[in-house]
Amino acid sequence: MIDLLSNLVAVSGSARLIVDIAMYFGLFVIVAMALNFQYGNAGVPNMGCAVQVIVGGFTVSAITTRLTFWIIGQAGVEFLPYTSDYDWVYNNFRNVSVLANGYLKDNIMLCITLLLFSLAVSLVLGAAIGWLISVPAIRLKATYLMITLITMADASQIIGRNVVAISGGTIGVFVPNVFAFYPGDRTVVMATLTLFIGLISFFIFRTMLNSPYGRLMRAIRENEITVGSVGKNVVGIRRNILMFASGITALSGCLLAFYFSYVVEANYQRAFWTYWPWLMLIMGGPGNNAGTFLGTALVVAMRRIIIVSKWYFDKMLFFPISYFENILLGSLLLIIMIFRPSGLIPEKLLYIPGINYRKLVREEVAVDWRTTTKTRGGAGKRSGIFGRKKGDS
Amino acid sequence: MAIAAIWTAALVYAAEITLLSIGFTLTYLTAKIPNFAHGTYAGFGIYVVYTISRIFHMSPYIGFPISFFIGGAVSVLVYIVVIQVLSRMGSGAIVLTIATLAIQIFLTSALYIYAFWIRTVYSTYTIGFLVKELDFEFMGMPGILPVSVSICVGTVIVLHYMLTRTKTGIAMRAVAEDTELSSVLGIDTNRIQLFSWFLTGGLAALAGSMMPLWFASSPATGSFMITSIMAASLLGGFTNVYGAVIGGIGIGFSEIILTFYLQQTVGVWIGEYRPLVPMIVLVAVLLIEPNGLQGIWERIAASDTGQNLLKSIGRGEVE
Repeated sequence: MIDLLSNLVAVSGSARLIVDIAMYFGLFVIVAMALNFQYGNAGVPNMGCAVQVIVGGFTVSAITTRLTFWIIGQAGVEFLPYTSDYDWVYNNFRNVSVLANGYLKDNIMLCITLLLFSLAVSLVLGAAIGWLISVPAIRLKATYLMITLITMADASQIIGRNVVAISGGTIGVFVPNVFAFYPGDRTVVMATLTLFIGLISFFIFRTMLNSPYGRLMRAIRENEITVGSVGKNVVGIRRNILMFASGITALSGCLLAFYFSYVVEANYQRAFWTYWPWLMLIMGGPGNNAGTFLGTALVVAMRRIIIVSKWYFDKMLFFPISYFENILLGSLLLIIMIFRPSGLIPEKLLYIPGINYRKLVREEVAVDWRTTTKTRGGAGKRSGIFGRKKGDS
Repeated sequence: MAIAAIWTAALVYAAEITLLSIGFTLTYLTAKIPNFAHGTYAGFGIYVVYTISRIFHMSPYIGFPISFFIGGAVSVLVYIVVIQVLSRMGSGAIVLTIATLAIQIFLTSALYIYAFWIRTVYSTYTIGFLVKELDFEFMGMPGILPVSVSICVGTVIVLHYMLTRTKTGIAMRAVAEDTELSSVLGIDTNRIQLFSWFLTGGLAALAGSMMPLWFASSPATGSFMITSIMAASLLGGFTNVYGAVIGGIGIGFSEIILTFYLQQTVGVWIGEYRPLVPMIVLVAVLLIEPNGLQGIWERIAASDTGQNLLKSIGRGEVE
């Protein structure tokens, strides 16, 4: 990766494949970790990852692109008209590729600001959409929640296809290249950035899971009625989890838009952004980040290698290889569910740093009821509900 | 007696959705999972009809009973190979639902591969096809209209008879109510489950086999219909089969007729949003009355006016 970063020519051949796998690994690890946070740890079956990813992508196309036009327009660059639907799509290529990117080339600060702005806005909008999703469905049974979320993923794609002002409908729009100042291959920087954001979100998720809130989440997964009975707001906690994880998931859609420098709704299909992350999660083992990493790496590498070597397969087969790929991965998921129900790396018992478990276990044995019954009422031992000595009153 | 094409489309589509949502509700009642692969069984019906009519050059209606049995066989296979194994391992509803999602993708891809194989061997088009021209004419109507409506009505009557009069049907209702208790009473729950999966798969494939006689069909058609099926079942309330019948008719009609009239009044562009109709219904049902029409019925029956109405038609107190 570092070799590739210092190499300032367009990458090709096997280096291209490595960059591609790294980029997709970064994108999917963010989604899969967020999913692990929701399903593996809190038991919220979010079948609508595609909704949040699409929100991230649409943030870049609808908000960042217009903001870029406005800022650069203020600086004196004459843009072709872009207010009507027709102009928005028709003049898009010249507006973005020639005028906006030409200006961004010399303004590193503006580029970085735009990138951070898009990431922040997609985080906020993703959380907002998570809240919106939670309104009808969070109180319901898990199966109803899944039905609603799958439906919403389809709905968001239909809206993106038909409302041209968002992402140019079926044609799609180009978005400003925020790495226009970088003389080498933009995709290498994007891949590095995505992996870096994936690493940051890994640390955030790990910290959250080791906190008291994380233990509360696991308690909800195990038995929500018990958690509710001790006075915790189960619906509120679930909504918070859905909102937080939705925000992180939206980052991945935003990064994908910048990777392609292009947004079209077909890039954010439900099958692609819901089914694959779930496959990764189930394959690696829910409830544990190492498993998520392993599952993501395996699935992404397999898919990219199949896609890249498509031409060799298509000569031999009478059908497009993508259908065989679906059959392969669909049966893989079923086989793993049947033969390794807890995934390739099963979930380990939660270890909280700072607690001496050995001591805890030893103490528990000491207060075992079988041993205490013998000494009940004995000299110096307190018993009864109020801990009074027997002959006190 | 000529009927406008839009009403034919609406009736045929409503019949299909009704058959599919009956099956979806039955699966939900007996196995307690939403079966996302349910729409894909319809794809098997579609390709049985294609094979019969295009490859063997026979009437597409011969394909109907064949597709019923093939759909049932696929469904039973899915149950034995995946669902039964997973539920014996003690997997919860979420894991089973994800498994049905995997089955959906698997079966859809298998259908695509079959379609491509036919295309290679017989050099015909196999995706996005219609067999309308092989249909017969009945009193000025296309044959599919009376056939689909009568199949739908007949299925509902047979199902009603089966569920209320026959031993298997009553056992099925008992399993849907409480699996453990019914097994205590000596019902072979596994056999009932097998029968229910066969019935649902068969009905779904039967609904799918009507598809290419009026609508352009491809292997993914069935999978796309799953939203409408879920909306119809949810509207019916997921608690009994009759709710699914009403929900199916409602969703099937509203999806086509509502879109058609909105297109005439608001503008043609609104036709693009047709898939949103079942989604809006679904979310609205969840927001207003999560038990669907069944819940509304119970609420009305519990109120004073409802009780008076029931007394006036001689039903008396309902519990």
